[in-house]
Formats: sequence, C-alpha cells, structure tokens
Amino acid sequence: MLFFSFFKTLVDQEVVVELKNDIELKGTLKSVDQFLNLKLDNISCTDQTKYPHLGSVRNIFIRGSTVRYVYLNKNMVDINLLQDAARREAMTEKK
Amino acid sequence: MSFFGFDTSLPGTGKSKDENPASEGKKPLDFEETYRGFGDYEEEDYLNEETFGANAELGTDFDFGHGNGSATSQGTSSGQGSVAPGSYITSNRSYVAAARQGDSQPLEPSVDLKPMESLWSGGAPQLQQQQPPPPQKVTETLSMEELERQQRQRQQMAAQQGFVVPPPGYVGPQTFMQQPSPPPQANMYPPSFAAGGLPPQFPMMYQQGQSPAYPPSQEVQQQAAAAQAAQVQARVQAQAQAQAQAQAQAQAQAAQAQAQTQAQAVQAQSVQQAQGPQFPQPLASPGDPVPAQIQVPGPGAAVSPRARFSSPQFGPQHLQRSRAPVRKDPLTAEEQKRLQVRQAKVERILKHSGLMTPRDKDFITRYQLSQIVTEDPYNEDFYFQVYKIIQYGGVLGESNKDLIARAYLEHSGHRLGGRYKRADVALQRMQSQVEKAVTVAKERPQKNRDHVDTSRDGVLGKISSAMNSKAPRKQLQIPAPKSENAESAVMDDVSSPSTSNASKSSTPALDVVTDSLENVEISQRSRARRRSSYAFSSVDQSSVLSRSGGRKFVLSLIETVYGVVLELEEQLRSGRQIDNSALWDALHIGDESYDVCPFISMLSFDKGIKIMPRIFNFLDKSQKLKLLQTFFDELSHLNIIIISSYKTNDSPTESQLKKIDLFQSIFLKIIVSFLSNSANFIEIMGLLLYLIKNNNVSFISTSKIGLNLITVLISRAALIKQDINRSNVLSSPEISAWNGVYDKLFTSLETKLSMVFPPKEYMDKVVSSGSRPSTAVSSPSINSTIQSYDQAYIWQFLASLALSGKLNHQRIIIDEVRDEIFGTINAAEQLGSTEQDQNVSMYKREKLYQDLNLFLNVMGLVARDKEITELK
Repeated sequence: MLFFSFFKTLVDQEVVVELKNDIELKGTLKSVDQFLNLKLDNISCTDQTKYPHLGSVRNIFIRGSTVRYVYLNKNMVDINLLQDAARREAMTEKK
Repeated sequence: MSFFGFDTSLPGTGKSKDENPASEGKKPLDFEETYRGFGDYEEEDYLNEETFGANAELGTDFDFGHGNGSATSQGTSSGQGSVAPGSYITSNRSYVAAARQGDSQPLEPSVDLKPMESLWSGGAPQLQQQQPPPPQKVTETLSMEELERQQRQRQQMAAQQGFVVPPPGYVGPQTFMQQPSPPPQANMYPPSFAAGGLPPQFPMMYQQGQSPAYPPSQEVQQQAAAAQAAQVQARVQAQAQAQAQAQAQAQAQAAQAQAQTQAQAVQAQSVQQAQGPQFPQPLASPGDPVPAQIQVPGPGAAVSPRARFSSPQFGPQHLQRSRAPVRKDPLTAEEQKRLQVRQAKVERILKHSGLMTPRDKDFITRYQLSQIVTEDPYNEDFYFQVYKIIQYGGVLGESNKDLIARAYLEHSGHRLGGRYKRADVALQRMQSQVEKAVTVAKERPQKNRDHVDTSRDGVLGKISSAMNSKAPRKQLQIPAPKSENAESAVMDDVSSPSTSNASKSSTPALDVVTDSLENVEISQRSRARRRSSYAFSSVDQSSVLSRSGGRKFVLSLIETVYGVVLELEEQLRSGRQIDNSALWDALHIGDESYDVCPFISMLSFDKGIKIMPRIFNFLDKSQKLKLLQTFFDELSHLNIIIISSYKTNDSPTESQLKKIDLFQSIFLKIIVSFLSNSANFIEIMGLLLYLIKNNNVSFISTSKIGLNLITVLISRAALIKQDINRSNVLSSPEISAWNGVYDKLFTSLETKLSMVFPPKEYMDKVVSSGSRPSTAVSSPSINSTIQSYDQAYIWQFLASLALSGKLNHQRIIIDEVRDEIFGTINAAEQLGSTEQDQNVSMYKREKLYQDLNLFLNVMGLVARDKEITELK
C-alpha cells in the first residue's frame, strides 16, 4: 500500500518510466492503481530512433509488472514523510 | 453418405459447368483432379462431414483453420480466382443448381470457419446463444417496426437494382437464384454502389458500426427468414456439420443458409465487376477469397460486430484496404480515406462495446475499489494523505471517498457520463460504488478467514488476500528468531538476561529485552566505571556504542522510538489521551545499566538526531530537563563532540561536517529554545553543573559543538541574571551558587583558553572540505574567495564567558587569548593589502572585526583599524 500511496502523490507529475524491455518513456503520470499499473499522458520516448513506433503514441497504459524503474524528480518526494510512512507500514506488518 | 441425404460431394464437385470456363469449369466433377481416394474412408466414416466440415480433406494436409485451403488456393492463387467466383452468376438456375452450388466448395469454408472463429473469438457465446432458439419464437420477438424496416430496406435495395423484391420469406431462394440482393442492412449505401453491383461490405459495415443496436434484430430476422426458406435448409445442412448440436441444427443451418445466400449475392456482384485478380485472397484467407467475403457481410452481420472484427484474418480492415483501389471510380480518394478513418474509428469503439453490462462494470469497479479503499485511509494511505495535507493544506480525512470516486471515474473513462453526458450522475454512481467498496473492504477480513475471496481468484485477476498490493511478496526473507538472537548477542554488557530472553524469542525481542534490562541489577561496573579518562577513551565511536548496548541495539532503539513517536502522533491527531511513558522508557534516560546512556548513542546517528524535535513534542518539562541533564552529563561521550573536536578528529570529512551542521540546526536549536522558553535560572545552573562535574570541559571546549553548548548555557544564564538583577529578585544564595558554578567552569578552562582556537591546519581542512559542496551550488567566484573558517562561535563563547565573569576573569581571558586577538587584527589588516577583490576583502575584514568585537565589546573595548580602543 505504501508504494501505491506514494505513486498516488505523483499523479500529474512528469516521470520517466523505464520498462523491463529497456524502453524509456517520459510522460505525465495520470493514474496508478494497486498493481502499480501506470497511465501516462503526453509521452515521449527518450530513444526515438530505436522505438519509432512510439512516436505517434500520446498516452499509454503500462502494466505495472513491466516497469523496471520510475525516475522521479527529487523534490517530488517528501523524504521524511516517506520514512515515517515506511516505518508505519513496517509497524503494522509486525502487528 | 450424408446425414440428411444431401449431396455432399467433394470439393470441386459443385462447380457448375457453364460459369467455369477457364479450368475446372464445365466439368461437374473432374474425378482425376478432385478425387484423392478419400472416398474410401468416407464410406465408413459418413459422419466425418458433420464433424470436420464437408470439404475437410482427409490426408496429411492438416489445415484446420481453413477447410479446403489447398484445394481452392490452387485455383485462385494461380490467377483463376476470377473464375471460381464466376461460377455463381447463373441467374436462371434451378433450385437444384443453386443448391448444388450452395454446397460448392468456396462457400463451405465460411460455414466451417464460423464455428472455428466462434471458438476463438469473443463472440462465441453469442453465436451459440443466438442459434438455439427456434426461429418462430425469435420472429415473435421482433417488433412490427423492425419487420417493416427490414422489408423497406430490401425493397429499396432491390428497386435500386431493378429487381423485384420478394417477401422476406423468399430471401433465401431469391438469392440463390443469383439475384444480387444485398444483405438487408446494407440499404443505405450509395446507389452508385448498388447500381454498379459492387459488393456492399464497405458501407454496410460502416452502417452497422453506426447503429450497434441494429445487428441483433436483423440477424434474428435473417434467421427467421432463412428458416422460412425451408428448401434451402436441406441443402445447406451439409455445411452445418460444425454445429453438432442436434436440436440446434435446424437453426444453425438456417443461419448459415442465409449467410451463404448473401455471400453468393455478393460474390456474384463482385465477379460481375471482374475484379477477380485484385481479390483480397492473401489477406482475407490463406487459400480462398470467397470465405472472407462471406464472413463479412453474411454471418458476420448475423452474429455481432464483435465476432467479425475480432477475427484477424477476416477483419474488415484487410478487406477494405485491399479492395480500396478497386473502388476508385465510384468514390474519390478523400472520400474513401474519410470513410476509412471513420470506419476505423467506429471499429475501435465497437470492438469491445457491449462486452460487459453496466452491472458487470459496477461489479468489477467495486472489487477494484475495494482493494483501494479502506476503513482507515489515514492509516493505510498515510503517505498520500499526509503529503496532500502538507502540499495543499487539505483537511484531514476530508471526503476521502469522494476523491477516490472522482479519481476512479477519471481513469475508468466514465467521466463523460455516458450517452447523456451526465457527469454528475456518473460521479454519484461512482460514489455509491465507493461506498459499497468500503463495505466490501470492511467485510474482507472475515471473508478472508472463510476463504470466500479465493473463489473470485482468477476471475478478477489476483485478489488473494495472502499476497496483494498490501502484502507484496518479499524479495528478502529474514527469519525472525535469528535476528532476535543476533540482537541479544550484541548486547555484550548483559549477557545473562539477554540469553534468557532469546530463549523466549516470541515477542518483539527488543521491548522485552530492554524492559528486562531495566530490572537487572548491574553492580559490577555500574558506578565505578564513570568518567575516569573520558576524552580519549571515548574517541572510538564503536566503543562508545558498545558501552551503551551495541550499535544494533542503539539502532533498533531509535526505531523503537520512531515507532512510539509515530503512535503518539497518531494519538495526537485523533485527539486521544497521550501517554508518553512508552516513549520515556524507550529513551532509557537515567538507565544505569549501560556505561553510556543509550540516549547519547542515539544522537550518534542522523536519524536519532532528526527524531529529537518530535520527541520533545511529547515530553513534559521535567522530562525534558532530565533528558538534558543526561545529555550534558555525558557530553564527552557524544559522538558529535568527538568528531567536531580538532583534538580527536583533526581532518573532518565532508559527511562529518554535515553531521555537525545537522546537529547544530536540530538539537542545538531544541536546547536553545528550551533554555530560553522554559528553563529557569537554577535549572540552567544545574545543567551547567552537570557539564562541569562529569566532563572534561577543556576537551569539550575544543569542539565546535561543545563550545556552542557551553556558550548557550552561560549566555542564557547571564541574560537571566541581568534580567533578574534589574528586578532584584535573585536571591543571594542563587547568585553565590552561580558564582560557584562559574568559578568551577572557569577553573577548568583556565590556562587552556587558547585551545578553543583550532590550529590553522584544522581550519584549512574544514574550509576546504566544507567548501567543496557549496561551490557547486552557489557562484564559485564569491565562495572560493570568501571561504574562511568562521570563528564567530569562539568569540561568542569568549564574550559570554567574559560577560558572566568578573574583571579578573576577563583579564585572564584577554591574557590567554591575546595572541589570537592580535592575530585576528593582523589577518584583517593583511586582507586589505593582499586581496585583489576589494569587496571581498572588505567583507572578510569586517567579518573578522565584527567577530572580535563581539568579545571585546563585552569589556568595553572595540577593535578598529589595527587599534583596540575603549568603547564609547
């Protein structure tokens, strides 16, 4: 739930998603669900020459399991809060 | 041979004589060409056709998808495609001929293919559902309007083409007689098409796309009509083998008969156009172009748009594209393109339309939502909730469900509100869904126990409670009991109780261990251990840590404190009574079982420092005081003192400097605010006394942090003393006590006062390692030149020391630091002469004088332009 909660705060922010097949997509995160499926809008592929077929795609739905990394801007994250949230999560798991 | 006594001759037999001029034409049955000896088998297996299709070839050529692929592909792909379809153009044939033709091979695949397709496409269930009901019954369900419309369409079509339109009942025969009556739903395509005899798939499908409500009724009607054409039925039956269900057979046949007739009509037209070679054979089907065509207007229309579109091989797009060039005459290029685009759009929309009913959608939505919503969003969605509050100042818990509803509405694509654009209605619906989902979520725990949820596994994706988004699979499995053992093993000080605890190892080890540790009497080294040769025995941080329970213990203690604080904060938020006893216990203040108080060791870690302000939120004044007493009492053990002292750490690293900054900005701030807000004179004196009594003050004074701490204490005391002096409420014992404390402090510092100034090498090192990160950030031109060791804290200390002291104290101070005073003045003057940049050197000079004057002003002196004069 922590990651879901975390990614929800990134909605409407620009992120770069690297997929497990090495495609990197930059776009505005539109939504995320509990499987961490992502919906991106206004996407642009960082390697346009390699994946020209993505040039005409504007928005995309990404299955969460195919995501390798999501690159974030540092100031999108409240680190202290994230630490707290992680601790809370760990606490509830222990119980 | 066949089940109903049909002529189920082999592929090729049905090819009529007159229309097949090129190759096989004129030969009703070219035995040599068609017979492969399979008849031998068929003698015994007379139900083969029922099972495999009329023209299923026996032999090694297993082409399951496309029954007679090989047989006809030979003909068509070799440029005779135009010929094969041409065989149906007899307009004056008898029923027998038509019937014979009806089971001629090009059409059969369609019949065969249909069930195959239904097997693989999404339309399968529908197909089967549609066929079983008896035609009469189905007819009744048609409204009068629909019937009328149907007839009108037919009439229109026929009229355009100059044909007489028989009543629907004769549709079958009529088409069999090769009257090119297009399928009923094609009524709206441009007359030019009809006149030209073009196959009407294109506009037809387009139309179907536009009116999704249409096909079912039409299809029903077609079936009914076809069923009425009883004569055909018998002939067609041969192709209906795939519909093996006995009772459904009649209907299935009927439907297929209809399909067939339409296909025939289409084909006839297309042949008239003589477009054979351009036929989309390669795209439509591997072997035979005709089935593809049939697929589209005939059964496709009768089944459902989806069933058609989902068949990749017979997808209308393929047909469309391949046929596009053929139609150039009636349609301009743009029109075509526009139509194509439009049609593609419609296809896209229709592709999955009607797959789920609104109820289905609601059900799915509810289940998805139930994974998201919880009874206690604040608890389980902590980061998001708090982040939102921090970022946007939202109100806690404010219609959380509404937000979920709205968000979900957005990304489920319902936000347009459907046909009537009622977004508000959609939102309401979604809200009610969320409500229900919450209920489901509430019920979930019980359900999990009963394993009810597992029954839905796989239906809605994986929703098992054991492993979901809340409890993801762990990449790293750490066996719990082992870690407990490790923890207790680390606590070398108290081995006996910890081992006894480890044997229990049932509860979260730490709490138990620490609790029991408190009860353990430790006499061995308890008191005697204290403060013999602090400064240098404490240099090694690991030894300090081990003397306070070990690194792991301290770290886990910090985590315990975090946990307690988080709990307390939650209590605070929910407005419950706050009980900080757990927190106080976790801090181990006044716990004598360790050489070094664990609290002091907690401050060795950044996260331990960071939690301090939050700890202070929950402590009352006496607890804070006790905490600070402990802090000052064991100041020499404080890691931060050690790393900030030039004596113990003569080359501080960047991270150490950062740590020092962190400590200053967090913990020092707390102390200052506590001292200035809540501590009274005696308490401050007490803290100072703790510091002097138990620590090597001269060592502490060599560290920046230590010096800062002393400065804070004595300057605050001096301020209070001044205030009180004015109002004359300070009793004489208090003053004398203060003087005593001050004397003690001064004595411990006397003769070592010059040591508060770090050596030049140390200062250079600090500057160089400290400036490295900052140059990257701010403009390097100013930074690199301005950087110099900031001695302000030293002068502040001397100033506050002098402020509280008497004249003889001040004199001693000046005597001891005289070199430093003049050194500073010289440095300042040198700056003016050597530095290139006037502004920078001026600034530096001013700074040096300012710092120096902090101290000198206390004694009524001021340093300016190389000279020290009396302050006016």
